Amino acid sequence: MLAYVARRLFFALPTLLAVMTLVFVLVRIVPGDPAQTILGDQASQEAIMALRERLGLNRPLWEQYVDFLQSAITGDWGASMVTGQPVLGEIANVLPYTIDLTVASLILGAVVGIPLGVWSALHRNRLIDYVTRIGSLLGLSFPAFVSAILLLLIFSIYLNWFPVISAGDRSDPLERLENLALPAINLGLIMAAYITRVTRSSMLNVLGEDYIRTAQAKGLPHRSIIWIHALRNALIPVVTVVGLYLGILIGNSVLTEIVFNRPGLGKLIVGALGQRDYTMLQGLMVIYTFIIIIVNLLTDLTYGLIDPRVKYS
Amino acid sequence: MTVAADPGAPPPLPAKTGRALLIAQALKAFRANRLSSVGVVIFVIVVVLALLAPVIAPHDPLEQNILSRLDGPSAEFWMGNDSYGRDIFSRLLYGARISLFIGVAAIGSAMIIGSAIGLYAGYRGGRVDAVIMQAMDVLLAFPALILGLVIVAMLGPSIQNLIIAISLTAIPPFARIARAPTIVVKERDFVEACRALGFGDLRIMVLHVLPNILSEILVMGSLWLATAIRVEASLSFIGLGVKPPTPTWGGMIREGFENILDTPWLSVFPGLAILLVVFSLNLIGDGLRDVIDPKTRTD
Amino acid sequence: MAAAPSQSVTQSDVALDVRGLTTSFYVGGHWYPAVRDVSFTLQKHETLALVGESGCGKSMTALSILGLVPPDTGRVEAEAILFEGRDLTRASDREMREVRGDGISMVFQEPMTSLNPVLTIGFQVSEALRHHRGLSRREASARALDILEQVKIPSAASRFNDYPHQFSGGMRQRVMIAMALACQPKILLADEPTTALDVTIQAQILELLRDLRRDTGMAMIFITHNLGVVAELADRVAVMYAGQIVEIAEVEHLFARPSHPYTEALLRSIPRSDRDTAELYTIPGQVPPITRMPSGCRFAERCTYRQDRCAGDQRLTSLRDAPTHAVRCWRRTGGDLPTVGAADD
Repeated sequence: MLAYVARRLFFALPTLLAVMTLVFVLVRIVPGDPAQTILGDQASQEAIMALRERLGLNRPLWEQYVDFLQSAITGDWGASMVTGQPVLGEIANVLPYTIDLTVASLILGAVVGIPLGVWSALHRNRLIDYVTRIGSLLGLSFPAFVSAILLLLIFSIYLNWFPVISAGDRSDPLERLENLALPAINLGLIMAAYITRVTRSSMLNVLGEDYIRTAQAKGLPHRSIIWIHALRNALIPVVTVVGLYLGILIGNSVLTEIVFNRPGLGKLIVGALGQRDYTMLQGLMVIYTFIIIIVNLLTDLTYGLIDPRVKYS
Repeated sequence: MTVAADPGAPPPLPAKTGRALLIAQALKAFRANRLSSVGVVIFVIVVVLALLAPVIAPHDPLEQNILSRLDGPSAEFWMGNDSYGRDIFSRLLYGARISLFIGVAAIGSAMIIGSAIGLYAGYRGGRVDAVIMQAMDVLLAFPALILGLVIVAMLGPSIQNLIIAISLTAIPPFARIARAPTIVVKERDFVEACRALGFGDLRIMVLHVLPNILSEILVMGSLWLATAIRVEASLSFIGLGVKPPTPTWGGMIREGFENILDTPWLSVFPGLAILLVVFSLNLIGDGLRDVIDPKTRTD
Repeated sequence: MAAAPSQSVTQSDVALDVRGLTTSFYVGGHWYPAVRDVSFTLQKHETLALVGESGCGKSMTALSILGLVPPDTGRVEAEAILFEGRDLTRASDREMREVRGDGISMVFQEPMTSLNPVLTIGFQVSEALRHHRGLSRREASARALDILEQVKIPSAASRFNDYPHQFSGGMRQRVMIAMALACQPKILLADEPTTALDVTIQAQILELLRDLRRDTGMAMIFITHNLGVVAELADRVAVMYAGQIVEIAEVEHLFARPSHPYTEALLRSIPRSDRDTAELYTIPGQVPPITRMPSGCRFAERCTYRQDRCAGDQRLTSLRDAPTHAVRCWRRTGGDLPTVGAADD
């Protein structure tokens, strides 16, 4: 198991390298001078040259590349070209917010989506099923920022239940929860829509399996057939979808963070893009890649928890 | 089970071949699934409205009426006016053109490029295949929005660059669809026969693989078109979409969001428009998929 | 009614009494009976074989008894299905659940797919005990282990927490049997339990079933398409064709005096060592589809003795000289016709 994790991480290294190289190249082939961007249109030629020198932009490309890789590996990701703060530190500052949001949405999505999907499958082609199916399709059709704006309008502005700006003190648990609630509901409900759909169809497949008939032939009560015999098998495709959805979730969290004005990786990357903060951008892309590798690994490990046929060798 | 042997059951559908059967399947889908016909109706209405925008729109989408700035809906301006006093309804109609054009162009090219990549990878096999598909997996794993963000930010926001960025994120699924049947077809005897008759290998592949995957590609296309429209709107909302003053739905929401406390309808109308289009496409894709893959059948 | 042979036994000896069972399926807007007016009794300690080609309704008969016919597409009607003084056709869902796996158990054809892949076999065997007997987890596990040993799972204790995929097909079928026997049922319904297995494994499973039946004294309905197996295991045989019982008799009687042309044909199609197997007999024609069942004898289309009278209603009727041997063919029961045994060989 541990060996499996180690090997998986080792084989992820080329992917990481590929992404880093891609980011490095992308950042440098684009039109526009970062020094110019940072200093603005009015800056003098001398000031720009000085900044370029300081940022290492005048050195040959390959030197910059080697330097970039070297510092990335040693954990020195440089300083933000805009704020001058270390990239790693800036990321570390906002990462907990993003993790809070992601984990909360994941839990909410599973807690709402799985029972709803099971319920819908059990009432196949009845009114409940139709409503759930249309509702979940509507849910996953929502662009995250549109749903976020609607939630903001209803709960923060009209009902005044939650703060309009969700950037608060994370160390105070009550405030942390209050600031997390709406963004997490926003992402969690979209996630629940995906989970409901896959749980429903997976459950319908499983309910037609021979071993469900065996369980019925044993005279087990309905609830243990559904929740013990059927659901555990039905969860296997759900894990796949959750793993795939985390990519969408990361994208959606960018939009959510903007609407609710909540700190996080998303706000950081949008800011970095707007200001052509190359070092910050490189750091963020590496972090994103890393997150995706970890998520894929966790997804595969979760299969092992649910399905005894999965072997890690 | 004994019922499985029921000789009175209708014979299984023959393997999908060509366009005629595909259309028959699609028709059957819409008969069976009323929801997907609702999707088609909504989508067709949106397309017609977008195409006829210059005729229908009551105002010039760029015309500023200083006197009606941030006014609510009225008889003259059905959905109110934005902060420049422009007619929101007219901007919505014109915005539909941009959203649909970018979506269709991006997904259309992703379909073509993706299928070509999948065909090539499946056909070549071996290491070439492994490397290409590995690259596709990495691309697929990366959040589409983040990738789109970075590409548009690098290339600069323009219709063309938006199409490139969105198309790039949508290529991997089409490559996957095309690859699997290519590998199967490659092993069949008739490929040898066709070769003997002097057909080029790639031509054989294209002719035999495409009819098999056409239906699947269309399902995927409608679902990804929904995603493309959502991503385009998201990028515009972030400020990386088509430059103002050109009306786009995402851009309108962005502008409206600045006045969200006082004039929420500026954001709400275009928001509902996006939702409606994406929802209709998802309904269509869902209904089509039911027909093509009976396993996921929902009715 | 058709069940003439059942009248000769007293009710206390009867384990199961099925009367007028009809199970229909919804096909293209209409209900069609897949099992039609099936009646039989099962004595205590007896093994009754239900024999017929796939699709003849034999498995559906078993599923109907247990109330396991999918309710959205199938419908079960019966005059009565009597088990331990209870009419199962009138039992509530809850009462049926109490019967299933406790009074009546079932072993299915496909051991590869009939066990839940994500649960340990120990759990699956002890589950029914915990539910029906209210045993604690520990008590149920101990009892389950006994049963696994009884069905001869090698080193059962160490394999108790293994999953189905870690067992071979034959071992999985043993686990299935252990599950069915957990609560010491009065009746075991075995639906082609050996069909999916290798020939050598088949013999072992049959031997196991025979031993278990002897040791536990349970009654068994053994469903098979293989008449060779019937001879080894069954006390009585019911031959089914196109949803009906066409002949029912003690096993020796049936083999000695096959009285329905379909039974005859079935017997002739068994491979035998004393005959040239190259000329193995196959019945011409096909079973009529459920949607286009002929009135009268359903086998008539394929029958070599076919006459106009076959189009009339055929009833399952006892032979005059053998009250426990009933057949659904006017040639044997109608009187003024060729005597038994004169028609072939």
